[in-house]
Amino acid sequence: MRKFVVARCLAIGLIFGPTPGWAQDRIRVVTTTTDLRSLTEAVGGDLVEAVSLVPANFDAEEYQPKPQDVLRLKETRLVVRVGLDYDLWFDRLLEAAGQRDLRSGGEGYVDASFAIAPLEVRGVAVGPGDGHAHGSGNPHYWLDPRNAEFITANILEGLSRIDPLHAKAYESNRNAFLVRLSTKLGEWEAKLTQLRTMPIVAYHNSWPYFARRFRLDFIDFLEIKPGVPSTPSHLAGIIEKMQARNVRLVVREPHEPERDVTFVAAKTGASVVVLATSVGALPGTSDYLALFDTDVAALVNAAGSR
Amino acid sequence: MIEAIGFLWPAFLVAVCLVGIHTYFGIQVLARNVIFVDLALAQIAALGATVAFMLGHGAQSLATYGYSLSFTLLAAVLLAFTRAWAVRVPQEALIGVIYVVAAAASIVLIDRAPQGAEHLKQILTGNILTSGLSDIAVIVPLYLAVGLVHFLLRHRLAKSPSLFWEFVFYATFGMVVTSSVALAGVLLVFSFLIIPAAIGVMFASTLPSQLAIGWVAGILTSAAGFAASFAFDLPTGAAIVCAFGAALALAGLIYPFVRGNRVAAIRTSFDTARWVIAAGIAGSAIMLLVAPRADLPLLDLLEQAVPSLRQLYFTKAEAAAYQDAVETAERHRLAAEQLIEQERRSRTQGEALDETTVQRISSFLKSYAEMRKGEQFVMGEVRARARERIRWVASLALLAIALLIAPLPWRRLSRVGMNTAALALRTDRESEVRSPRTPQEG
Repeated sequence: MRKFVVARCLAIGLIFGPTPGWAQDRIRVVTTTTDLRSLTEAVGGDLVEAVSLVPANFDAEEYQPKPQDVLRLKETRLVVRVGLDYDLWFDRLLEAAGQRDLRSGGEGYVDASFAIAPLEVRGVAVGPGDGHAHGSGNPHYWLDPRNAEFITANILEGLSRIDPLHAKAYESNRNAFLVRLSTKLGEWEAKLTQLRTMPIVAYHNSWPYFARRFRLDFIDFLEIKPGVPSTPSHLAGIIEKMQARNVRLVVREPHEPERDVTFVAAKTGASVVVLATSVGALPGTSDYLALFDTDVAALVNAAGSR
Repeated sequence: MIEAIGFLWPAFLVAVCLVGIHTYFGIQVLARNVIFVDLALAQIAALGATVAFMLGHGAQSLATYGYSLSFTLLAAVLLAFTRAWAVRVPQEALIGVIYVVAAAASIVLIDRAPQGAEHLKQILTGNILTSGLSDIAVIVPLYLAVGLVHFLLRHRLAKSPSLFWEFVFYATFGMVVTSSVALAGVLLVFSFLIIPAAIGVMFASTLPSQLAIGWVAGILTSAAGFAASFAFDLPTGAAIVCAFGAALALAGLIYPFVRGNRVAAIRTSFDTARWVIAAGIAGSAIMLLVAPRADLPLLDLLEQAVPSLRQLYFTKAEAAAYQDAVETAERHRLAAEQLIEQERRSRTQGEALDETTVQRISSFLKSYAEMRKGEQFVMGEVRARARERIRWVASLALLAIALLIAPLPWRRLSRVGMNTAALALRTDRESEVRSPRTPQEG
């Protein structure tokens, strides 16, 4: 299927490629994650055609680009990335694609983390940034719905730069999206009020932004560091803490190991909640707003069943 | 602490079961010279699970286990044939090919999966820490059944059976490996398979005594691994694998004392130790001379263990600058941690921080990280300059120490030197004696 689409694109490219009219039809945007794709679609509307590289249920930090990703970038006028060292592999891919405009600082390059206040900054970033004041904080900033204002602003700026003719349309798209977002945000906040006093344990620390927005208390994580499995005393500490504070919820993402989470939950009688951190990772999370709808419903459900 | 032991013991029991069956299979595998066959079988089982997942079965479902098992049986047929095919190409090469192709095929398949199948990695990276009594209830009957089959058929399954019995061997082995890898992961299962068996084969020649030695060694080593994982707070599986590596090294060291000439063994190991230490010191000395700014692992380690060593070559000013940088860096780290904690607490306690405050905390954190990096640069620079200053003296001294430690045959060298001198003298005298004669001959 994908092959067919690419073949078709190539065929169209061969026929219409050189004519200037085609490029203006729909602006092709490549994003690293599905979340950024959804937000790009919200800003671009019918004027853009957005593609994301990392499949929904993959760990975006460990994605390995494929040859066709280079091909996808060839026809692209704008790229949108997460930044904050989350999608480091993207730099080499952009290098391989060889389009100057798409690289860092180019006209068609958007780092969606621009102007975001990263939380839990502990070191200096390893990725190529602007050199200074670019810490390596927790990269899961899109999980605060408020941060979508910054992200869509960055996308809006990028789209208006490469397509100034439609800048007005992009802006009104974004405004409409933000109106919907703020209504939804009110709903989510109201629903999650009941979880405010409930301590939660998660597998991986993807949740500081989410926790801050909805005032949730993630007290500990099963992973010591990303990718490092738990040690006996860490696990014992968590179980002790969970019993002491009567933790009823353990959060896991769909791609994380079921075994460890179930083990801890079984020891403490807590229930496991599977939450998506990306659009498309769970059924029903078809776009950015639906992602929060699903997660909020899952949390409320698990808390209510107690 | 008691709680940790409370949930470590089921995992330890699982390890004991795994050692039990794998030591036996390990001895067989060593005899057949097909060391990596378990990796190939485990990978094939994972490929089967991947296919099942692609077809829409759950990761832990019966259907998935069925697919894994049928793929393993197919692989057993292939493996049984490899010995017949391995005329020109060693069997181990074919096994390696099966392994890499199965691994690559599952990567290709996972990539095509509609919703991604990242958690299939779990099949390859089980975690022994979170295994428990429910797992024992599954593996003990399976291992007992396999063990019984092998005991009853022990004459047919011996070293070089016919094609069918070879298939039976690989099929039963595949069943064991499929379940154990899902429990403990590839690395740990490989260690359970090879290392106790190797220790057994080293010290005994009949199967029962090999098994007994392997079991004792395997269980003791597993216990040591669990203890180390608990005491030093290490990931359990990896700690046990390292413990097994150490056990094999220890067995290698003990072997010559048990089986060979004891005096020679002691002398050899003593000499080896001296060579290793001398080479380490000499290498550090040369590195210090050639590249005093580079990482010097031995010296760095020593300095870390005994910080007062720095006083030996730092001037007062350097020591003060270094200490200041250390303290400042630590202060920055603590300040950053405090800010992070303050922000974390504000998420749920008291009034929520407004966006501007969060922005400010964020930029403070970035600055602290930058400043800490700066202090670390200062530490490195101070040390590098001090080392540059003393490199000649220090490296010559280190070289001298290395020469003293190295087990060079000083006595023989000096004797050889004296002999050469004596020889030279004698030839001189001889030529003196001979020379007056020459004219008479002429």
